[in-house]
Amino acid sequence: MKTQEKQNKTLETSFEELQEIIKKLENEEISLEDSFKLYTDGIELLKYCNNSIDKVEKQLIILGENKDSDEL
Amino acid sequence: MNNVYSVTQVNLYIKNMFIRDYTLNNIYVKGEVSNCKYHTSGHIYFTLKDGQGQMACVMFAGQRNGLKFQMKEGQSVIALGSISVYERDGKYQLYAKEIILDGSGYLYEKYEQLKKSLEQEGLFDSSHKRPIPSFAKKVGIVTARTGAALQDIINISNRRNPYVQLILYPAQVQGEGAAATVVKGIKALDKLGVDTIIVGRGGGSIEDLWAFNEEMVARAIYECKTPVISAVGHETDTTIADFVSDLRAPTPSAAAELAVYDIKKYNADIETLNRTLNYQMQKKIIGVRNQVKQLSMKLVYSSPIYQVRQKRQNLMDMEQKLSNLIEAIITRKRHQLEIYAEKLEGLSPLKKLSKGYALVVNSNNEVMNRLERAKVGEMLQISVTDGDVIARVEELIKKERKL
Repeated sequence: MKTQEKQNKTLETSFEELQEIIKKLENEEISLEDSFKLYTDGIELLKYCNNSIDKVEKQLIILGENKDSDEL
Repeated sequence: MNNVYSVTQVNLYIKNMFIRDYTLNNIYVKGEVSNCKYHTSGHIYFTLKDGQGQMACVMFAGQRNGLKFQMKEGQSVIALGSISVYERDGKYQLYAKEIILDGSGYLYEKYEQLKKSLEQEGLFDSSHKRPIPSFAKKVGIVTARTGAALQDIINISNRRNPYVQLILYPAQVQGEGAAATVVKGIKALDKLGVDTIIVGRGGGSIEDLWAFNEEMVARAIYECKTPVISAVGHETDTTIADFVSDLRAPTPSAAAELAVYDIKKYNADIETLNRTLNYQMQKKIIGVRNQVKQLSMKLVYSSPIYQVRQKRQNLMDMEQKLSNLIEAIITRKRHQLEIYAEKLEGLSPLKKLSKGYALVVNSNNEVMNRLERAKVGEMLQISVTDGDVIARVEELIKKERKL
């Protein structure tokens, strides 16, 4: 996975890809090499999912009232 | 006294007159509510009155969706329905299909008109609706800064996922100029870049909610590139904003549920995925390991070591056989040799000498077996068992011997 791709990946697609990987891994026919590749991809995706959540509690941001949107 | 009619006949006749009347079949009647009774059957019986008169009215249970508020004594309402005769009592009454509060009547009409025209224009098309992101990181809110709606959204959001950033655009949600601030808020948040925008407010009268029925709000929602969840009033309040939004939430709380994903569920999902991934990989590895074990066993049995051992065994067997054979041959030959030796011994001339025979050779060392091979005076050598005798020929005497 390229860094560029990773950055653009949404959690939704990551989840979809993970499901896809698991589906492939469940297939008995798959070669060990392929499964290793899939597994590392999967772990990578999981790591990415976890990292992409900013686990800092957020305070409500209140935008300035009566200001033009241009100032935002 | 011609033409006497029964009461029923007359009532029926009058009823038919009402039924044939176009106006009476679809009429808006304005008045004040009195004697309002919600019957257990679901029907509502009430009277509409004004300064000079009154009219009996009924709304049957089947029409109840035409009434969006709790009708109370003294309210000024507009009832849409048909006027007909109740033959049993010989009275006419209004059969209401729809009742709206007066004053909102005009707004209601406007609402219907706008709804129709925007619908025709395609603003409500489901093809235009965007899916709400499942994992929004930033959620924009356009509502009043001090409303219950905002508190509800904050509470739900914090409970579900405190890591999601909420950004409020404080808008005026009712009164003059409300729609304009709502529009500004939508545009501002769209421009700012959030994942989802919640537009809404808590419950209120149709006038209170009116900003969300305005065309400019509808268009702002339609043009907004960020998915919009509308959350106006209660479940029963449906505004134009709800039709045009990408998703309609029945309440602001529900909007927060739809916009903010549950972090606990997310973590559980991730955990499950992780476990499944590991389980599948382990299963795979165990499977492959077993395969390797089986194959290696097969390989061991088909190993050249086994073949070499086998061959070596064969070789040893053959060697054994060979040496046995050669030994047998040697024994036989030796035996034969012994026989020959014995035979040879029997033929040995030395044995004859021991019986008195002797070997005589002449001076030329030829066997002296005929008279002609020697002359008188010639020295002959006679070999006996233990030596030789040298003798001189004295005489040659010829004799006939029969052999």
